Amino acid sequence: MSHSTVPRSRAEAETEKTPVASGGAAGSPQKRPSGKLSLRLRLRRDRVLLLMTLPAVVLVLVFNYLPILGNVVAFQDYDPYISDNGIVSMLNSPFVGMENFQRIFEDSAFWNAVQNTLVLFSLQLVLFFPIPILLALLINSVVRPRVRAVAQAVLYLPHFFSWVLVIAVFQQIFGGAGILSQLLRQHGYNGLDIMTDPNTFPLLITAESVWKDAGWGIIVFLAALASVSPDLYEAAAMDGAGRWRRMWHVTLPALRPVIALLLVLRVGDALTVGFEQILLQRDAVGPGAAEVLDTFVWWNGVRNQDFGYAAAAGLIKGVVSIGLVLAANKVAHLMGEQGVYKK
Amino acid sequence: MTPNAASASSGPSRRSFLASTAVATAAVAGGMPLLAACGGSGSGSRDGTTSAKDAKKILPAYVASNVVKPDIPARNGSAIGFTSKLDLATLKTSVTKKLGKGGKVTIMSPFWGSPPKQNNAYYRAMNDLIGVDVVWQNQDGNTYDQKLGAVLASSDIPDVVVVPGWNMNGKIPSAIINKFADLGPYLSGDAVKEYPNLAAIPTDAWQRSLFGGKLRGLPQPAPYVPGIVPLYRKDIFDKEGYEIPRSADEFMALAKEITNAKAKRWACLDMKWTAFQTFGVLSGSEKPLWWNLVDGKLVCRIETEEYLEALEWARKLFAAGVVHPDSELGKNAPDPGPKFAAGEFLIYPNNITQWWSRTAEQATQNPEFKVWGMDIWGHDGGNPHLWADQPAGIFAFVNKNASESVIRDVLAVANVTAAPYGTKEYMMTNYGAEGTHYTLKDGVPVKTDKGNNEVMNAYVMVASPAATLAHPDFPDVAKGQVMWQQRMGAFTKKSSFWGMQITEPGRYTNLGNDFEQLEDDITRGRKKISDMQQAVSDWKSKGGDKLRDWYMKILDENGSAAS
Repeated sequence: MSHSTVPRSRAEAETEKTPVASGGAAGSPQKRPSGKLSLRLRLRRDRVLLLMTLPAVVLVLVFNYLPILGNVVAFQDYDPYISDNGIVSMLNSPFVGMENFQRIFEDSAFWNAVQNTLVLFSLQLVLFFPIPILLALLINSVVRPRVRAVAQAVLYLPHFFSWVLVIAVFQQIFGGAGILSQLLRQHGYNGLDIMTDPNTFPLLITAESVWKDAGWGIIVFLAALASVSPDLYEAAAMDGAGRWRRMWHVTLPALRPVIALLLVLRVGDALTVGFEQILLQRDAVGPGAAEVLDTFVWWNGVRNQDFGYAAAAGLIKGVVSIGLVLAANKVAHLMGEQGVYKK
Repeated sequence: MTPNAASASSGPSRRSFLASTAVATAAVAGGMPLLAACGGSGSGSRDGTTSAKDAKKILPAYVASNVVKPDIPARNGSAIGFTSKLDLATLKTSVTKKLGKGGKVTIMSPFWGSPPKQNNAYYRAMNDLIGVDVVWQNQDGNTYDQKLGAVLASSDIPDVVVVPGWNMNGKIPSAIINKFADLGPYLSGDAVKEYPNLAAIPTDAWQRSLFGGKLRGLPQPAPYVPGIVPLYRKDIFDKEGYEIPRSADEFMALAKEITNAKAKRWACLDMKWTAFQTFGVLSGSEKPLWWNLVDGKLVCRIETEEYLEALEWARKLFAAGVVHPDSELGKNAPDPGPKFAAGEFLIYPNNITQWWSRTAEQATQNPEFKVWGMDIWGHDGGNPHLWADQPAGIFAFVNKNASESVIRDVLAVANVTAAPYGTKEYMMTNYGAEGTHYTLKDGVPVKTDKGNNEVMNAYVMVASPAATLAHPDFPDVAKGQVMWQQRMGAFTKKSSFWGMQITEPGRYTNLGNDFEQLEDDITRGRKKISDMQQAVSDWKSKGGDKLRDWYMKILDENGSAAS
C-alpha cells in the first residue's frame, strides 16, 4: 500500500531486485527471499521515509498506545490519591479481578447509558448523516462563486462556536422562559418544554448537532465533488441525461467511496455521541434520558472517583467500538468499497 | 471509652454522659459545647473519627479575641451580630506584624458567581496587607465536585485547596488524608498563639478540621442553624399585600396567586431544600448528618417518610407551574441574581449570605429592591423541626509537598482572613480598599460596583473568625439575619453525629451519591416516588445496612451529639 508514495523510478529499480516489496501481488514462495534480508533491504530502501514518519510514530506511541496500559485500573480498586505519582498508585492499588465488570453488568444505570447511546447514534445516523451530503450537493449546484463563498462561510461558522455558547443560544430561544415560550404565552398558549423534556431529548441533541456541525461536515463531500471531471457531466448531458439523471449516475457514484468511508468511521464511533454537549444538558433532563456511555464514565470516574469502575466501562466501550469498526469495514468491503483499510 | 457502649440504645443518657466528662476538653465558644469524640477506629486509620484523647493533643489552644463586643451575642447556635455603627476611623489592628514572607501561594477555591480577573485591585490590596503573593484559581462552586477529583489526582496540586464538606464524596476523603499537610506542628496547642486570629477560632470548628487523626484543615466556623433561607422580595410582597406563608398549603396557595407566566412572573425557584426543612427531614449537607438515632436504631434521611413527603410537595410546585422554568435545568440553571432582581420570581432558597449580597448588589441601581428571609414554617402549620448543620463546613488544606515557608505564608493569609469584625483586616477582607471598593456615605461603607465585582469569595474562603454577621452598610440586614438564626435556632436539633469529622469507609462513600440527582428527577416529574423507594431498597442491600452498622459502632464508641 505504501508503495505509491515511493518515488517511482527508485521504487521500480528496487522492485526489480526484491520483487516481494511490491506487496500483495508477490505471493509465490520462490520469489520471496528470507524475511530478514527483505526487512533489512526494505528498511534501507525506505529509511528516509521511515525517518520522516518517526516523530508521528513516537507521538502515537506516547499518547495513544502507552496510555492503553492504564486500562489495568479496570481490574483494580484504583485510588490515585495513595501516592503522588499515578503509576505508583497504580502499582499499589489492590487488584479486584473482574469485580468491576461484574458490577457494571449488574448496574441498571450502565444499561440505561448503553440504550441512550444507541438511540442517539441511530437517530444521528438517520437525521444527521445525510444532511451534509444534501448541503454539499446544494452548494455544488450554486454557480456564482460569491454566493457560494458566502453560503459556505455561513454554513461553516457555527462549527466554531463552543457548545456552551450553542446551548446557551438554544436556551435563550427555546427554553422555558425563552423568547419562543414567552411569545406563545403572550398570545394565550402554553410555554414549550423543548429544552427540558426527556422524551424529546434525543431530537434536541440531534437538532443542535445539525445546526452546529452539518455545515462543517460538507467539506469532505465538496472535495469529492470537486474531483469529478466536468467531462463526465458533459458526456452525460450529450447523451441526453437531465439534472436528476446526472446526479444519480455521475455525482452520487463519485461520492460513494467517501460516503462509505465516513459511514465506517461513524459506526466505529457509534458509542461516542457527543460528550460536552450532553454533559452540559445532563441536569436539564436528568440522567435517565441524557446519560450516555461517555458521561457515565465521567460521572463514575471523575465525579465519584470510582476510577476502576469507570475504566472498566471505558474498556468495554473501546472493545465494542473496535468490533463495530471491523464489522462496518467488512460490510464496506462486501459492498465493493475500500473502507478504512484493505486486507 | 467503651463504658459508654452500655448506654448505646439511649440518646439522652449518652448526651448527659458527654456533658459530664467530655466537656473537660472543650473550649466553649459561641455557646456551643464541643462534641468530644472518643475512640473511633483508632488514630491514623483512614476511616472513622478522631478520639477525644488524640484530639486533645492536636487541637490548637483557644484564646478569645474581644476586639469589638457584639451587639447581639450568639444564641441558639446563631452567629454573633453587629448592628451598631462602625467607626471606621478607629478600626483596630489585629495583625501588628506582617507575617507573610513574600512567597507565592496558589489557592484553588470554589467560587459562586462570576470571578473577577486575576491581579485585580482587591487581590493586590489583600496581598500587600498579608505580605504573600496569593494567586487564585477560582472554580465554579456549583460543579466544584466535578473538578476536585481530577485536580487532586494530578501531580499538579495547588499549594492550597479549599474543600467544602459536601464535596467530600468518593475518594476525596482519602485524598485529603494523603495529599494534604499536617498543620499540627504549626498550630497544635500553644503553637497557634503565633497566629492570634487563628487562636480565636472556636475549638469545635478545629475539631471538625481533624482528618485521619491529624489537624489538616483551616476551618470556616459556621452557625449550626441551617444555612439555607427561603429568600423573598419583600418590596413586592409589601406592594402586592402578599402574606408570608405558615404552612405547606399556604405556600402553595400563595405561589399560585403570585404566578403569572404571561407577564413573566413565577412564584419561586426549586423549593426542594426548603421542603426538606419544613418537613423536618434530616440534614442533607454532609453524609454523617444524614443519620440519627431513633428508638435505638440509626435511621438515614432517605429512609424517612418525611423525605418522601417533602419531595412530593416540591414536585407539586413544579407540576403546578409556579416554579420558574430555569429551575427545570437543575444545576445548569443560570445565576438566579439578575432574574430575581428583575422580579421573574419572588422566592428562592439559598444560603443566608445571599440575603446580604443580593441586597448590596442591587442597592445602587435598584433602591426599591428589598430581599428578606422567610421564617421556615412547619408543613402542617406548626413549628418546624430543623436539623443542625456542622459548626464548620468548609476547609482550606495545604499541599503536603509545600515547604515550611509556604505553609507559614498560608498561615499568614489565614491569620488575616480570620481577623474578627472591627479590625482593619476584617474590613479589607470583606469590603476591600476604601475609595476603590467602598466609599463612605454618612460614615457607612457602601460598596462600589468594583467592590461588588471583585470583593467576592476568594480570601474569605481560607479561614474565618467565629461565625459573625455584620454588615456596616446594611445593619438591618445583619440584624434580620441574626434574629432569623436565633428564631430558627430555637427549633434546631443536633443529630447523632453532629460536630464529628467522620471519614466513611471507601466502599460506602459513593452509596448515597445519586440520591440528589434522583430527588431532582422526581421533583421535575421525570421519575416517580416509587423509583425513590426502589432506590432506597437498593441502597440498603448494596451496603446501606452495613453502613448503618458501621455508624452504630462509631456511636457506641464515641457517644452521640443528639439534642
